[in-house]
Amino acid sequence: MRRALGTLTIAFSFAATLLLFAAVLFFVGVIVYRGWSGLAPGLIFGDTRPLDALLLRRQVFDGLFPAMAGTLALMALTMTLAVPAGLATGIYLAEYARGRGKALLSLLFDILAGLPSIVVGLAGLALTIILHRIFPGRIGPCLLISALALAFLVLPYLVRSVQLALESVPRTLRLTAPALGADKLTTIRAVLLPACLPEIAGGIILAVGRAIEDTAVIMLTGAVASAGVPRSLLAQYEALPFYIYYISGQYADPEELQRGFAAALLLLAMCVVMLLAAQLLSTGNPLRRRP
Amino acid sequence: MTTTMNGKIRTEKLSFSYGERLLLGDISVEFADQAITAITGPSGTGKSTLLTVFNRLWEEIGGGALRGRVLLRLEGRWQDIHAAEMPVSMLRRRVGMVFQTPNPLPMSISANLAFPLKLAGIEDKQEIAARSREALLRVHLLTEVEDRLGSDARLLSGGQQQRLCLARALMLHPEVLLLDEPTSSLDPKACTGIEELLLELKESCAIVLVSHYQDQISRIADQVYLLGERTLLRQR
Repeated sequence: MRRALGTLTIAFSFAATLLLFAAVLFFVGVIVYRGWSGLAPGLIFGDTRPLDALLLRRQVFDGLFPAMAGTLALMALTMTLAVPAGLATGIYLAEYARGRGKALLSLLFDILAGLPSIVVGLAGLALTIILHRIFPGRIGPCLLISALALAFLVLPYLVRSVQLALESVPRTLRLTAPALGADKLTTIRAVLLPACLPEIAGGIILAVGRAIEDTAVIMLTGAVASAGVPRSLLAQYEALPFYIYYISGQYADPEELQRGFAAALLLLAMCVVMLLAAQLLSTGNPLRRRP
Repeated sequence: MTTTMNGKIRTEKLSFSYGERLLLGDISVEFADQAITAITGPSGTGKSTLLTVFNRLWEEIGGGALRGRVLLRLEGRWQDIHAAEMPVSMLRRRVGMVFQTPNPLPMSISANLAFPLKLAGIEDKQEIAARSREALLRVHLLTEVEDRLGSDARLLSGGQQQRLCLARALMLHPEVLLLDEPTSSLDPKACTGIEELLLELKESCAIVLVSHYQDQISRIADQVYLLGERTLLRQR
């Protein structure tokens, strides 16, 4: 009976893994198959010369370049806001907070991690309205508000991943630096953070992945269908997920839908590139085994 | 209490507890300088905790309470390790420690060796290089790693990692070396290498070794204590 249960567990685990792998393969296959044929030379830059577009000498009206630039700018700004705050809070929770206060804060971040993004989007919209009343005509839905809202959305993931990574450092390694005469801050900086860099990088990758695909937040806080490349933090912008959402609901002909799939493929490619870059930063080589 | 002329560490009515649990009770003992003192006893009796008392590392773990005095003989004079004139960072630079599991820091071999020196304010590159070379020589690791000092220390074998940790502990020329079962995760060959090293090292410092291995203790220890029932009994 016990042996049969063991065999059944292994069979179920294998089947579940296989099913998941097949689902991922199917999903990526559909995106690649439908998007590949839409990858025409003019997809990104349209009729504009790529160099002119990249140097912002000419606007791109019929390509995905503004949406790609908007997405990259949004991610850069979001992570600039979220990573330091997430890192600092995670360090505080793991290394300094104690007792009931720590339990309460950990629970709070777990609850925040489960917050629907549309609620965060609405909070961002409310913030925009407040700021608009304070600075009429100057602040409206824009890149900065979107980045703030997205940073708030991904902060719980970052905080918890940093906290859990630090707490999982083995006790002997944790005590090594103090045994050599290091103070707490030096131990955190020189030993604990480098020791769990791969886990922290993993948390950041997850956060980027969560932020880059989010549409609910940005459609309420600053993303529009046509705005060009954002020239300032207070400008509206285009973004790939919003473009995909917009096209899939509003497409006029199959060709336009195909451009939506091509945009999805580009978004997927951007995610993969960022993932590899993060791996490269944390291990020096994405394919190398970690020590 | 047994008093020796060349004592290095002394405890006076030392008691230690974690919460309600008393681990060490009223221990008064003196460990000799230039000797290997082995502490043995059943698991969970507080052998590792006793080691952390000598460099105050238990304070980093939290939840413990200590009573009594712990003294270290420095420059011919007994000094209380909890006295204000003995900052904990200074104490830990004089009392090196090697743990049961090899624990190289997540950095290169050379950075591991330079770490304690930099903490002590020694930044001179030539001095760091010279001292690193000397420490690696002492632990017989120099020839094995001299062509890859810049590579990640965690990529060394278990035995090499433990010798590196020993070399790192020796970088500041400690007067006391605390070893918490340093060979338990090593193969017999690496284990023999470490034992030979300890016999060389005892000429320059006091070594306190926690070990479960009776054959190892009989091979290298000069003094042997059994920790059980919260007290330390001298066996040899």
